[in-house]
Amino acid sequence: MRKFSILLKQLYFQKLRSKTFILMTLLYIGIITVVMFWSDIKAIFVNDEAIEVAIVNETTVDLAPIFASSDDVNFKFPNNDVKPLYEQLKEEKLDAVIHVTEENKNLSADIATYTPLKLNDQSTISSMLQYAGKIYGIGQLNLTAQEADQILNSEPVITMTNLNETVADGKSEDQKEAGMFASYVAGIVIYFFIMAFLSMITTDVANEKGSRALEMLLVSVKPSTHLQSKIFGVFLLALTQIGIIIAVLLTYLGFMDGGEKLDFIQSTINELSFGFVLYILGFLFLTIFLYLIIGALFGSLVSKPEEASQVMTPAVMIPLVGFYVMLSGIGNPDTLLIKVFSYIPLTSGMVMPMRIGATDISPIEPILSFIVLIVTVVAGYMLSLSFYKRSVLTYSSGGIIQKIKTVLKVTT
Amino acid sequence: MTLSLQHVVKKYKDFTAVNDLNFTIGKGEIFGLIGQNGAGKTTTFRMILDLQDQTSGTITWEGTPIKKINRDWLGYLPEERGIFPQMKVEEQLFFFGQLRGMEKSKLKKEIDFWIQRFDLEEKRNAKAETLSKGNQQKVQLIASFIHQPKFLILDEPFSGLDPVNRDLLKNAILLLKEKGMTILFSSHQMDNVEELCDHLCLLKRGVSLFSGSLLDLKKQYGKTKLTIRTDVSIEDFSKMAGIKEIKRDRDEVVITLVDESYAKPIFDFVSNGNYIEKFSLDYLSLDAIFKDKVGGDLA
Repeated sequence: MRKFSILLKQLYFQKLRSKTFILMTLLYIGIITVVMFWSDIKAIFVNDEAIEVAIVNETTVDLAPIFASSDDVNFKFPNNDVKPLYEQLKEEKLDAVIHVTEENKNLSADIATYTPLKLNDQSTISSMLQYAGKIYGIGQLNLTAQEADQILNSEPVITMTNLNETVADGKSEDQKEAGMFASYVAGIVIYFFIMAFLSMITTDVANEKGSRALEMLLVSVKPSTHLQSKIFGVFLLALTQIGIIIAVLLTYLGFMDGGEKLDFIQSTINELSFGFVLYILGFLFLTIFLYLIIGALFGSLVSKPEEASQVMTPAVMIPLVGFYVMLSGIGNPDTLLIKVFSYIPLTSGMVMPMRIGATDISPIEPILSFIVLIVTVVAGYMLSLSFYKRSVLTYSSGGIIQKIKTVLKVTT
Repeated sequence: MTLSLQHVVKKYKDFTAVNDLNFTIGKGEIFGLIGQNGAGKTTTFRMILDLQDQTSGTITWEGTPIKKINRDWLGYLPEERGIFPQMKVEEQLFFFGQLRGMEKSKLKKEIDFWIQRFDLEEKRNAKAETLSKGNQQKVQLIASFIHQPKFLILDEPFSGLDPVNRDLLKNAILLLKEKGMTILFSSHQMDNVEELCDHLCLLKRGVSLFSGSLLDLKKQYGKTKLTIRTDVSIEDFSKMAGIKEIKRDRDEVVITLVDESYAKPIFDFVSNGNYIEKFSLDYLSLDAIFKDKVGGDLA
């Protein structure tokens, strides 16, 4: 235990002080800062004046309440004919002219521009026109204002009842959205931390092996202690980075918009069940552990630190696949692809939380996936340990398969 | 006896790296393991250090299987040089010392002593990667014994060192011996082995050709190396009996005799009853014995 803690401390503080770790953490904080303050940053660099749009209305519908001006678009309703407005458009005094007419009991709108509109502005105007079209259609039916209002604002009351008792809880839409959000965050965390810390543990073991310091260490330290110190040291470092990022994020959220965004996060967390949070944390930590075990094993296979990236490639591809599968589930988390990947141990950490949070799956499925992950972590650890002891002192060239073959050849 | 290897065998799929190796090392003794590259020296070291399992045979330390002893009793300098490149010299020595169970206060004294002795005072706070190869080697050597192990293994400790540093290391090894440390080392430089070792084992392709005291090994060959400072030509010497090999080295003639009984007639021939400056009959050097033992039947 004493040797373990000396090795752990040495690794942790050495990496904590390393330029790579500091720069990586600053980079994450920078990205979070940019995302959180994007509108302010954009305001500094982009002169985002509202576009000027003239509406010539030749219908009986009152369009002024519908086309309310905003920070992005300023609507005018001149009484002019269209042609002089088109001249103003060419002179770039206006950005768009909308000519609204009636055609076959339908609202018809022609949007004239000289410089094409930005997609965002175009979408805003289109949605307003569609709403105006509905108002026009309702107006044609000679309804009272109350009746019209009822049609426009009526929303169905949807409740879910599942008669199959083996199927879970029957989550509300809010719960599913919160679950989707939380699992998405967990998936991103897993992905980014695997990418960063897999490479860290692999190169660290490879460096020690390449510099032959490992040979000196293993005289007084058991390979199992060394392997554990690497895994826990890097894991602790990952937790430190996660902690720093969460602290920065919460600080930003607390100060922004009078804490409005922090309230949103809190309400999202409130929607999550305790069991779901446990599952997310369980999958998160076990998946990171699994990749760290693989990373340490791969690091022990190479002879020189320069070869670390070569052996890491297959291990990096798998979380990449898992990440894209998870992204595909944002639109529809019930596909067969999602179901299959939610059981594969290397990707289940990213995919299964999404199924638990955003779909109504049987409780047995996450348990099964979790057990498969635990068994894989334990088996992976045992296998890595047995292999680690033999591979750390074997130096060979060639690809990863060749390296494994060499280790087996010279140590059995 | 402290370390004892009995019938140790290490087999891989295709070949046998070490075959029926036997030797013992006494307490506080310096023991040399010599052999060509690939003779099985490093494999033997690794088996002793429990970094590799032997296929059969026993390795014990004071009667206890080596696997069961306290690992902190051991010190090891691997053949390939390397230390933590990013760590400072002093930090490195503290790390290795503490890892092997030494207290920080005691460690501080040891580090100061050895840093001074190896002339590394100015490099105390330098990162290892910034040191010269020789200085890195000195740091790694100190790291291997800073915790005062009972048993120290040095794999090719002299390779790459200049003559000054070689002497520093040699004296350090002798000092460690004085302190009671048992040392096993390998070297290709036979003069170092000859100067330091009490006993040795000569390995060839995993097989022990000799194990015992250096003097016993030399006695096997007898006093057959004859060095004479003379003007007599090699052709004149070739008429004499019992000469196995003869060569001129500057103003001296170096002869390898079949056995030492042939020395007397040669002395009479060269001196002819007169004074001669040098006539030296001695044992063969370890280098010559090594070449004969290892290379002899390679031809």
